[in-house]
Amino acid sequence: MLSRLADNLYWFGRYLQRAENTARLVNVNTILSMDLPRRVQLGWEPLVELVGARAAFAALYSVSDEENVVRFLSLDERNAGSIVSSLHRARESLRTTRDYMPGDVWERVNDLYFYVQDKGERSLGRSRRQEFLDRVMDGALGIHGLLVFNMSHDVGFRFFSIGVNLEQADMTTRILDARSTRAIQPRSAEDAAPFEAVEWMSVLRSLTAHQAYRRQVRSRVAGAPVARFLLQNADFPRSVSCCLLAIRQTLPHLPSHPEVERRLERTLAIVQNAKVNTLVEAGLKGLMDEIQKGLDALHEALSVAFFQVSTAIPAPTPSRTSADS
Amino acid sequence: MAFDWREYRSQTFDELVEESGEPRLAAQRLIEYLSSLSEPEIAERRLASELAIKVMGITFTVYSDGRNVDRAWPFDVLPRVISRVEWERTEAGLKQRVAALNCFIQDLYGEKRIVKEGIFPKAVLADSVNYRPQCEGVKPRGGVWAHVCGSDLVRDRDGTLYVLEDNLRVPSGVSYMIENRMVTKRVFPELFETTTILPVDDYPAQLYETLAGLSPRPGDDPVVVLLTPGVYNSAYFEHCYLAQQMGVELVEGSDLFVDVDDCCYMRTIYGPKRVDVIYRRIDDLFLDPETFRADSVVGVAGLMRAWKRGKVALANAPGAGVADDKVVYAFVPKMIRYYLDQDPILPNVPSYLCYREKDRQHVLAHLEELVVKPANESGGYGMLIGPKSTRAEREKFRKLIAADPRNYMAQPVIALSTAPTLTVDGLEPRHLDLRPFILSRDEPYVTTGGLTRVALVKGSLVVNSSQGGGSKDTWVVDVEDG
Repeated sequence: MLSRLADNLYWFGRYLQRAENTARLVNVNTILSMDLPRRVQLGWEPLVELVGARAAFAALYSVSDEENVVRFLSLDERNAGSIVSSLHRARESLRTTRDYMPGDVWERVNDLYFYVQDKGERSLGRSRRQEFLDRVMDGALGIHGLLVFNMSHDVGFRFFSIGVNLEQADMTTRILDARSTRAIQPRSAEDAAPFEAVEWMSVLRSLTAHQAYRRQVRSRVAGAPVARFLLQNADFPRSVSCCLLAIRQTLPHLPSHPEVERRLERTLAIVQNAKVNTLVEAGLKGLMDEIQKGLDALHEALSVAFFQVSTAIPAPTPSRTSADS
Repeated sequence: MAFDWREYRSQTFDELVEESGEPRLAAQRLIEYLSSLSEPEIAERRLASELAIKVMGITFTVYSDGRNVDRAWPFDVLPRVISRVEWERTEAGLKQRVAALNCFIQDLYGEKRIVKEGIFPKAVLADSVNYRPQCEGVKPRGGVWAHVCGSDLVRDRDGTLYVLEDNLRVPSGVSYMIENRMVTKRVFPELFETTTILPVDDYPAQLYETLAGLSPRPGDDPVVVLLTPGVYNSAYFEHCYLAQQMGVELVEGSDLFVDVDDCCYMRTIYGPKRVDVIYRRIDDLFLDPETFRADSVVGVAGLMRAWKRGKVALANAPGAGVADDKVVYAFVPKMIRYYLDQDPILPNVPSYLCYREKDRQHVLAHLEELVVKPANESGGYGMLIGPKSTRAEREKFRKLIAADPRNYMAQPVIALSTAPTLTVDGLEPRHLDLRPFILSRDEPYVTTGGLTRVALVKGSLVVNSSQGGGSKDTWVVDVEDG
């Protein structure tokens, strides 16, 4: 398998997952805003922080209200992480790999991309937003399903799947991280308490984890058990541990690179050994930063091992092949 | 109601129907069959073909509004038919022609006998845009430089088949030839039962054989790759198609590198893997930034070094395009006599070379009747079509020719034969040409027929797909076999 092909399949997985997660984030914040009484303010700015785009947002918009943030995250092509940009990049990664994939994948990705381009503009208001975001989430899941069931699980598929899992681990960490910069800004301390649970519920919802959580945790929705679930549960596919364990299962099918394995194990150990209960009180930020660094290092190791085959004579690399987050 | 063939009249030679309105021998079964269908039935088949093309994903890429768009391949369901007897003669003519062209290229980069003996003018060589001095002294295996050639054939009013040009750089279109047949099989399956239509789908296997035979490491399982400039190239569909059909890796320049041992490698997830043969679909000038254009991002640094040292084979060889020049074209009949000591089987279109005083006077005096072509443009660009030109255009060409006579040649207007084509107004004649593909090796191979390109616009002589052209399936029919 060509390194470029593996690279593109990996990024295809990441962008597809990113588009889905971003739609989910916007959706959950929209729903949350409906649950809250008027005197409690729902911030939209934390979503921008969460996707790590504060500077980009500030350069483009002066007010971080609902309208601007939703536009920025969904349709703004100037935001590299927006739904439309993620789908665009997924599509570009697919161009050179489409012969490798089942035929209808290309059609589905095109459909979804053009749907977002054509229908996005009139779908930003609350009345149509839900339908629009549903379509994006369903579309991404449909493509994912096609690949899981209609494509051989050969090395190419494994790179796709590593991309998906790494992206999900990253997103889950970001969502937990955002909890430390609070979404709800109560006007007084007594207002805060009842919404604490609502807020953690919304964290679960944005990862479609509320049902799984209820079934497995059987305790009320609160900070420590939610964080523990999303970090350390080994069965829920969007938990950080579960994503990393999936990558661990994939690696033996690829050429062995000790550095990749080392990075993975180190990150997994950070996640699994974390004393979540005590950390929730003190703030998750430190832990999340550490996990994020671990994920970045894993990406870097994968990239060096598989995507950039070292040469004695460096060949020119056109910019379009170096897909980047 | 069925179509009335007696109403069908072409202004020039028609491939399927004689002047009298009777079908030509090789097309008899086809016309009989079409006569048995009502017009709505034929229209239905046309819809079926459009659907097949969409489902099979046969596309070509056009650049418009700043976006690259995959367009469905424009296709006419009515095939163009050639009799086997005529085809065998044409095939022999093409093999002869390409053999002479390969001798010519080898000679130019070697001893230059043809120049020394005064048969090919030194001045023409000196001004050749596609001559690559970097290739001097190289002797590719078997003296073959143009492994894949696509020659364009046109038929004039009197039925004579001429060679219009030889494409020796990166000729394209062969994948559509194969796909067109697939579509016809879906749309007119009945016809394949009653008519002996020679198959065309052998080409990818033949191409693979040709390429594998060039490997510098004989005995091993050679590693063959197809080098594409990338997804934005208009022929990308074909690059994918051929790579898939041959079972070889489709690579871009950044996937390859030449190491200090002068061998070429591709970057894989298992580490570097040595490459033996590169079927390159990018132009000479972009092949190797070390040797040619330094700003090329689609090429591979050091590739010329690897090729010259015989570590990797390139098809077509760099520099082969020297014979892909409309002035050089005029010398092909002489080359055939000179190198092969044979009479040319297929004629050239008569050509006037503007660097010759007498020819130039003739051209300037008859601009209104002639087609004037620059030596090195392709795709029908930069031409003057005399009968359709304005006075201002002719004046412009008068100046162009005076300024650079070497770069211009002229030919009489060829009427281009027609074939019945399904249009919105029913069956009508449309002009067409034919591009067969020739593979050069010990035993050369010619495609059965080739790609028929048809101008879908009434009266138009422009067959390029980017300019309103489409294509037809091309049948070589064995009449004796029934």
